[in-house]
Parts: sequence; structure tokens; C-alpha cells
Amino acid sequence: MARRARGPWRVTVAEASMLPAIAPGDWLLVDPTVRRWPRRGSVVVFREPDTDELAIKRVAAGPGEEVRFREALLRLADDEAWLTADADAPTAAAAGFGAPRDSGRFGPVPLELLVGRAWFRYGPLRRIGRIR
Amino acid sequence: MSRLTDWLAPRTVVRAHCDLPCGIYDPEQARIEAESCYKIIEKMGANSDPAFTTRAIAIKEERAELTKHHLDVLWHDYFKPEHLDKVPNLHEMFWKATKQVSKVKASTDIADAKKLLDMIEEIAGAWRATGGAEKTRVVKQTA
Repeated sequence: MARRARGPWRVTVAEASMLPAIAPGDWLLVDPTVRRWPRRGSVVVFREPDTDELAIKRVAAGPGEEVRFREALLRLADDEAWLTADADAPTAAAAGFGAPRDSGRFGPVPLELLVGRAWFRYGPLRRIGRIR
Repeated sequence: MSRLTDWLAPRTVVRAHCDLPCGIYDPEQARIEAESCYKIIEKMGANSDPAFTTRAIAIKEERAELTKHHLDVLWHDYFKPEHLDKVPNLHEMFWKATKQVSKVKASTDIADAKKLLDMIEEIAGAWRATGGAEKTRVVKQTA
């Protein structure tokens, strides 16, 4: 908890896998103290399992929930979440990036790797507002 | 104002992570698969054995699917918005070519396969105009 309270509280976004909700260059406020996440639909900052880099994705399914993966139905463990990109491959490509990487690639994300919930965009000016 | 902006700017970068494209692209990959479709249709015309026809249809569908995949990779991963200046009809070109692949998949008319090869050649022209092999292939080492 103490570790979480140190932040980060403000982050900027690189790359395009969260278009159209979040664009590259957006400035976001992050709440690192939220304890009841991951709630389905929330946008979260986390450490990507296979790269350890800070990344941003949306919670598609929380602990114990079921998620569709390819032809199968996966049941998540009590300590993991399924995080997905908003953008599909053509959307990311139109912005000049490769296919989005998410749980479809790196699998379920252990809750201990979640860093906080992105809840508000404070820049650029014309896009200020809550993250949905 | 700029000091305020500096103060407000986040120090932490989070990545809305996308795959790292390897940067190797060549329409030849799509063309080879499309040539397979062309040859298969040609061979189907010369052979009426039902077992052969069944195999030929299955293989042609598989090759057509690969053609479409390679065209999609070029379209999504190689071509960038700035290339539209040089190739304004880029999206239409790919849209029509990938539609033509679907046609070839179902067709036994060699003219359809020929048309697809012509369309891929047009795409190869766009690829050359925007950088081509110099930008997207590794130079061959000669011994």
C-alpha cells in the first residue's frame, strides 16, 4: 500500500493500442491507491509480464471470471486479470503502429503487477475529461 | 506558460503497447502465393480427375488465404499514413486486391487469378515508390 501511494499519479501515453479512448501523448491521472480494482471496464496501468515495462490496457475480466480466448473459455485465477487493448490491428496500423499487444499475447496479468487505475485525462486541453 | 506546461507534464511514460514490426516487407511474398493460385487453376483446367480437383480446390483456398494475409501485413504494417501523399489510392488498391483474393478463392476462371497478379503488381509499384527493397529488405551477402 505504501509502495502504491508513491505513485505514479500522472502518466503520459506512448503508442496507440488504446485508441480511440486514449491517444498517444495523452496526459492521464492515475489513482494508485484504489484497492477494489480490477473492475471490468477500468483502464489500468500495470507492469507488462514479459517486458516489465509500464503499460496501459483495459480490464476485460477480473479474478475468478471467465474470458473467451480464441476458441476456448478461460477461467482466471483469484489473483489475476485479463487486460485487453481497445484498438484492433487496422486502427493501430492507421496510427503507424503494429498490432496491439495485450493478454491475448502475454496471458493473464497477476494482480501484483497492477499499478493503478487511469481515471482522468488532463491533457491535451481539448480532450480533458474522465476516462471511460 | 511553457513553465506551467513543464510542471504539469507527466514524468512517467506508460505504453499502450503494440507489436514491434520487424520492418521486412515485400509484395513478392503475396505474389508467390497468388502465382500458386494461378497455376492451380491452370492445372485444374487440364485435369478432370475428381480426386485431383478436390485437392486442387483445398490447396488453392489455402494459398489464397496466405495471399490475403501477406497483403494485409503490407497494408497494415508497412504502409503508413504519410505514404498516402505518394499513393492516394492506396486503400482502394488494397481493398480491391483483397476482394479479388476472395474471388480467386472461389473461382476456377484463370482470368480472375491473372487480374489478382496485376493488382499485386500495382501494389508492388506503390511499395517501390515509397522505398521498396532498399528500405524493407536486408541486403543479400554475396560470397
